[in-house]
Amino acid sequence: MEGIKKILEALVHIGTVSGYESNAEKYLSGLFGFDSCERDSLGSFVLTKKSLKENAPKLLIDAHLDNVGFMVTDIKEGGFLKVVNVGGLDTRVLPATEVVIYGKKEIYGIITSTPPHLKRERNKLPKIEELMIDTGYTKEELKELVDIGDPVAYKPRLDTLQNDYVAANSLDDKACCAAAIDAIMSVDKKDLTYDVYLAISAEEEVGKAGPARVAFALRPDIAIITDVNFARGEGIEAYQSIECQKGPSVSISAVCDRRLTRNIISLAKEKNISHQIICEPSYTGTNNEDISISGIGVRTSVVSVPLKHMHTPSEVVSLKDLKSLSDLLKAVMVAKEEL
Amino acid sequence: MRELLKKLSLAFGPSGCEEYVRDIIASEIEPYLDGAELIKDHTGNLIYHRPGKGKRLLLNAHMDEVGFMVTEVTDGGLLCFGNVGGMEPLILSSKRVISENGIVGVIGSKAVHLLSAEERDKPTLPRDMRIDIGADTKAEAEALCPVGTYFTFLSDYVEYGNNLIKCKALDDRLGCAILCQIIKDICNEKIDVQHDLYIAFTCREELGYSSAFGVTDRIKPDYAVVVESKAVADVSGVSDDKKVCTLGDGVIVSFADKSTIYDRDLIKYIMDLCKEKDIKYQVNKFISGGNDSAHIQRSGGGTKVAVLSLASRYIHSPSDVIHGEDFENAYKTVLAIVSDKGFEPSCLCTISN
Repeated sequence: MEGIKKILEALVHIGTVSGYESNAEKYLSGLFGFDSCERDSLGSFVLTKKSLKENAPKLLIDAHLDNVGFMVTDIKEGGFLKVVNVGGLDTRVLPATEVVIYGKKEIYGIITSTPPHLKRERNKLPKIEELMIDTGYTKEELKELVDIGDPVAYKPRLDTLQNDYVAANSLDDKACCAAAIDAIMSVDKKDLTYDVYLAISAEEEVGKAGPARVAFALRPDIAIITDVNFARGEGIEAYQSIECQKGPSVSISAVCDRRLTRNIISLAKEKNISHQIICEPSYTGTNNEDISISGIGVRTSVVSVPLKHMHTPSEVVSLKDLKSLSDLLKAVMVAKEEL
Repeated sequence: MRELLKKLSLAFGPSGCEEYVRDIIASEIEPYLDGAELIKDHTGNLIYHRPGKGKRLLLNAHMDEVGFMVTEVTDGGLLCFGNVGGMEPLILSSKRVISENGIVGVIGSKAVHLLSAEERDKPTLPRDMRIDIGADTKAEAEALCPVGTYFTFLSDYVEYGNNLIKCKALDDRLGCAILCQIIKDICNEKIDVQHDLYIAFTCREELGYSSAFGVTDRIKPDYAVVVESKAVADVSGVSDDKKVCTLGDGVIVSFADKSTIYDRDLIKYIMDLCKEKDIKYQVNKFISGGNDSAHIQRSGGGTKVAVLSLASRYIHSPSDVIHGEDFENAYKTVLAIVSDKGFEPSCLCTISN
């Protein structure tokens, strides 16, 4: 679990708002245990580890790198920035939250909050366009440092909670990136049943432009899409959520391949890897849908980890669940027979 | 002074639980007592007294900060909480918090995706929020954070932009840091004190039932000066009057706020001192907020009081923001008051027939 935590901590400290995933290039290309790390035209990274067997089938594992955030739209008097959202933000969490602006350099900022005595209406949620980012610079200085369109993300910070939970920004979906990287790094090439391609994909949060391009280019035999899903909790129904500490969920869905899904569940049972099932009848809401219809069509399956407080600066995931995800992916890569 | 401000602001000290802050202040000033007396009184105040000839002056800063207290543990192992002190409910969602014994938690609520369109536009109320410490069961949560456990914001000390300082609890550790520095300066003979000087570090200001009330009755000062922070809204687009004050425009000498009308003579005296010493100061352009002054003013037979405040953005959040220059100016103003021969009220009313 320490290995996964280390990778995760490194990833959450890299600012990768949708469309600006290139910041992660240095880290990803420096990882050991891969044959290559390439970047495609839409910004997704593909990390490859090939089997020693001739003509091995291709396995694509997808985890998206990008996270929700903001984009600068205006520079105001007194060093304040106007921003719009990139992806679906939870506007309840914004006031007095710390951010980083990725301008000419990384600039610290705080989202403004109006003191209660100056509010027209109490208990009304401010809209993004009513808020600003406080940088502490003058307008003139800021114009030198920041351009309109520069990305802004929540200030990175990872804290450890009880029971191997961690709290951090952008765990959606860097948690799965970390588990997948860990799985592939720790498997021996000679044991690989598949040529493994890990897509650390771009732009999931803004319409899923990135991942299907990778699948089109690769034409994999099977693909496993890893993402986060809602953790069960107060007021969250069983049908729309999965339980923390019970391992990754395998989705049973019309948009996933039945045989592959069944085989993955059997494999998890056989290897004693904790896992659970979630039914997502029509859609999984992940990259799966686009990947499944790419090229001549791909057999896909969706594996997810439970995430608490999704799309906030303090998402929470269990490292144990990530370890189980890593174990499950490893089991797939070295499965005796093709799944 | 910045290093001490950082240390004090990061210390744990919600109202009613000031002991950690008090210990830091005590260990910080004990080497500098130089014959002065240090009293830890029965309600938790720390009072420095340097006997002297002139007028009896009380300088005051409060040690406590806003925080939370666990009120119930849910079956799922989440913590229900109540505020300790007043807080803007909108800033709570998804902030990280830490308990007295170092347990880290996240203030959580339902994922935004799972809310109805109507719910999305409404803020989540504190009663619907929970602190999530990662406990898997009720028993586990109760063992770590039983009902009554204190939490505060988990926050870093950051200096950013042009000399801005950000941390939790700058309200009012900045006052504590300034007054500690004054005590050190006195010992290092940088100040020739012209007063019978009391410096009090007090408790429970954030609740509005401040221990400064009792301190004032004990000391019965001729006049008192409170060092505090003041909520302002000097962000772009807010009209000047609504901003209250502006960061970087100097120490605030308030003429009135929601709880106190300050002594006219005393504030004029302080403004004159600032002018004389070339210290940047400003007055508030909007009546809002309140502080320990109200208690000091109304304690015992009544006390003349003034407040020196630092303009503070996003007060009572993990991101209180002040201006480094204002911090220096507030310190210089206190220094000027302590070294001056003393304030003489122009209209000392004598009751005559």
